[in-house]
Amino acid sequence: MDILLEMGLVAIMGAAATVAGAAEDLESDIGSQSNPNSQVQLAPQMGKPHRIFNKAISGEPPAYGLWCSSGAVVTSVLLGANVSPLMAIAVGALMGSIALGLFAITPYLGRSASQRRYKQPIYLDVIRNHLFGIMGHGYIAIFCILIISYIMHVLLAHPFPIPLLALIWGITVGAIASSTGDVHYGSEREFQNYEFGSGLNAANSGDIVRRAEAGLRSSIDNAWFCAKYGGPATGLTFGLTVFIDNWRTTLLHPTAGLGWYAVALGVGVVVLTILLNRLIELHARNTFGPYKQDNTEAAA
Amino acid sequence: MIDPITLILGITLGGVLVCFAVHFIPVGGAPAAMAQTTGIGTGTTMLATGSGLTGLVSAGFMLNAVGAGVDQMALVLASGAVGAMLMLDFTMLIANAIYVWGVGVVPASAKVKYDPITKDRQDLYVSQGTEGHGMPTVCFVSGTLGALFGGVGGSLVYWMLYHVSADPAMSGIFAIGIFLVNSVIASYNIGGTIEGFHDPKFKRLPKAVVASLVATFLCALIAIYVVPGGAVL
Repeated sequence: MDILLEMGLVAIMGAAATVAGAAEDLESDIGSQSNPNSQVQLAPQMGKPHRIFNKAISGEPPAYGLWCSSGAVVTSVLLGANVSPLMAIAVGALMGSIALGLFAITPYLGRSASQRRYKQPIYLDVIRNHLFGIMGHGYIAIFCILIISYIMHVLLAHPFPIPLLALIWGITVGAIASSTGDVHYGSEREFQNYEFGSGLNAANSGDIVRRAEAGLRSSIDNAWFCAKYGGPATGLTFGLTVFIDNWRTTLLHPTAGLGWYAVALGVGVVVLTILLNRLIELHARNTFGPYKQDNTEAAA
Repeated sequence: MIDPITLILGITLGGVLVCFAVHFIPVGGAPAAMAQTTGIGTGTTMLATGSGLTGLVSAGFMLNAVGAGVDQMALVLASGAVGAMLMLDFTMLIANAIYVWGVGVVPASAKVKYDPITKDRQDLYVSQGTEGHGMPTVCFVSGTLGALFGGVGGSLVYWMLYHVSADPAMSGIFAIGIFLVNSVIASYNIGGTIEGFHDPKFKRLPKAVVASLVATFLCALIAIYVVPGGAVL
């Protein structure tokens, strides 16, 4: 295949990955999945019942591996029946998001019911209001991952079949969103009642914000807030991972005998990230300064 | 044709490398998602798996492009390692950007007073009531090394399994299985959170390596028979 065409496909994959990452993170914020959900789960026990959606189905990575590979199996079957690729991907993503919707209802009911002794109500309107936001964002994420898997397998001749690629990218996007965007939700949005930059004292665990500008805060408010930073940052991470990893082997194609150069280019990018991280660390140290005074220096 | 003993030993070595690698990756689990402890805010197993599988995709592509010959083995393993390192480094970089600009905390370790690489003071930058937050340079470098070993280990398992079945899909899914087995063993050994090679918990490594050796050896024995095209004994 012409290198320019291949680069175009890699660019589409990068763009799809960016959208997938952002949508995945926002879905997990609306549904309150993954690690920050421990605080949502803890809040009623601390005497603070709330209207935040509560669905820790499992860790985000295996959950997304499941939705994406389920959708990919449907897509593969439809492709085998000569359905057009776009239609096959759209129907596959729909099936994946329906599975996500079904799995979202049961943990909310189950978890809220198990907290009856802490006076946590089950809000049926919370399910009605949040479910389509969860399924809609999930659909976008699964759709984009199926596009990436389809391009890799069918057009770029990757040896892994579409469901296996979808499983791998689903697990990867879950791991990335759980590590990046969820921090914005868990560390900042859930604890805006504490001063910015003060850190979250372990003693304050469970004291999540439950009131909004008007009325009670819902998880849709959380997605609104995280869409400003956490979601796009997650998209950027997943987009960079998919784009740079494929860009280096497209630019320096192994079949042309340039495999080792592609490896060297990747190592160069890795070194660059270490240096960039150091710059961020130095910026933070200089801007925020130490929290405590050095006792030995103070005494002297 | 590679003899079965070499294949079993190769798969076992790959699995042990994965288990070894997971100990280098700075994971803080749920507390790190609330900026209450140093490391990446997700579970050990899932992060290592996410990174290792990205490496597996790169290794699968490279093996398909350059062939499965012994001469090309180093290139396939290196490609897997770079794929894994890229995923983990981008994740740590953007996660740190969120800790700094989204949460307003400084990347700091609570396990050492001075960063062994940059010699920066750490304890003064740990906010009250927490066990550190974010990824200081030592954690970042440790995580990169972990992804390097994990990527090599996962790719080695895939390369060996490919020589059992010559089927990329079956080799890939079995390699994912062996990757998960070893990530879970390491996760149990770590018991929650670890900052990297400078963390006192890193000394528990030998126990995990022994457990991984036994578990992966059994997996390798099964793999030789179960993977279609196998039963080469």
